[in-house]
Amino acid sequence: MSFNWLSIETIQLLLKGLALTVVLTVATSLLASGIGVPMGLLRLSERRALRWLATAHVDVNRNVPALVLVIFWAFALPNLFPAEMRRAIFFDNWLMAHLQVWSGLSIPYYTLAAALALSLNTSAYLAELFRAGVGTIAKEHLDAARSLGAPQHVLIMQILVPQGLRAAFPAISTRLIHNLKNTALAAFVSTPEFFHSAQTAITRSFRALEFLLLASIVYLTLSLLLASLLRRLERKLERRPSLARVGP
Amino acid sequence: MSQQLSFLIHNLPHLLIGFPGQRPGGLLLSLLLAIVGVGLGFVIAVVVGSGFQSNLRLLRWLCRLYVEVFRGLPLILLLVLIYQVAGSGRFGLNLSPRVAAILSLALYSGAYQAEIVRAGLRAVPPRLIEAARLMGSMPWQVYRLVKLRYTLRVMLPAFTGQAISLFKDTSVLIIIGVAELMTVARSVLGSDVTNTPYWVGLYLTVGLLYFCIAFSASQLAQSWERRTRSRDLIHSLANY
Repeated sequence: MSFNWLSIETIQLLLKGLALTVVLTVATSLLASGIGVPMGLLRLSERRALRWLATAHVDVNRNVPALVLVIFWAFALPNLFPAEMRRAIFFDNWLMAHLQVWSGLSIPYYTLAAALALSLNTSAYLAELFRAGVGTIAKEHLDAARSLGAPQHVLIMQILVPQGLRAAFPAISTRLIHNLKNTALAAFVSTPEFFHSAQTAITRSFRALEFLLLASIVYLTLSLLLASLLRRLERKLERRPSLARVGP
Repeated sequence: MSQQLSFLIHNLPHLLIGFPGQRPGGLLLSLLLAIVGVGLGFVIAVVVGSGFQSNLRLLRWLCRLYVEVFRGLPLILLLVLIYQVAGSGRFGLNLSPRVAAILSLALYSGAYQAEIVRAGLRAVPPRLIEAARLMGSMPWQVYRLVKLRYTLRVMLPAFTGQAISLFKDTSVLIIIGVAELMTVARSVLGSDVTNTPYWVGLYLTVGLLYFCIAFSASQLAQSWERRTRSRDLIHSLANY
């Protein structure tokens, strides 16, 4: 098998795409956890308005396909504004210019919007899983903490969050791997991530078979890597009896 | 505002059932593809999921390979791979976008459902199997009447979840140009610059259509599950 279809420029293109896919995966996973866990907590809140807000977030972002969310935030939303304002708000401003120089993306807004959309989508799933995880915490544990006079934030930060996350961790890992695969959807809004660069390489060289197989191998490897990383994290969480400081 | 509304009202039938004079498209096609995909995927899943219990190491290994590969690839990549490579005529197969879409959806969903079947088969209480064997059932009968039935009953929520998820995933079919909801939405907007004010409204409508189906399906599945579970309890109590 000869590799003459793989020129230096193509390799550079693919590596850039791969890097962006990894960055997108990490960023969206973190952001999704950052949104998802508080949303899961809000769904348990005693205030009805907060509960309703979190439920709306979860239901909307879970039941609308990720691709619709991506296209809505990236392509549709800027069209809400008249042309001059649109440029000033989304494309031609100080922040976007800096991002463009710093990241080398041609239109950083699309990438940011895709990342936001994917994070919102994944956060809705994580909120549900986290809430289910909190549901498995023994009631006595919470009662014990309350009877010791633990304030609300201690209860949340030292019991609900660590134990809920630990209980839901296997399901959360599955969702995060799904999120990794979903980053390929950002290609639809011309984010130059790995799938997009593979497609670009195909249109340049007309070598569909080679590049698609290469892309498959790369995505499989990435999924397996993320899976093993998350398994290691899970074992680390399990080894610790509790993240809460328990006295002797 | 009224322009927005008239644009939406004019195009709503297209979004729902596709363009007139063409084969059905839009939301209807999304639903049909999802149903066929889940159905075929289920057949694959029962075979592969049962293969995990085989005594042959090679067979178990092949099942593992299938599940890992088709769950590890993004659906878009799988679609392009099957449509452009496998179905391009290079290997003697010439697939239309619709057939390629059904094939990809079935293979993708099959891998997820196979994991569900596997988990269900492993969760069958050994006593149930032993009891059936003691009654003189053949292994095949035990498998069909006890193990598979138990799996389907216990894993029903997981299957419906998978089906809803696959329905939402049909939006990705836009990449090979199947005339489902997303593709229709895109072609309704076209490349016309004067259409830009309609983008938000149209995609909100598309999102709403997906939401209605997915949300009501999940609510229905939940309430149905609650009802059958309670009836089953009565049923089992009555049999005691």
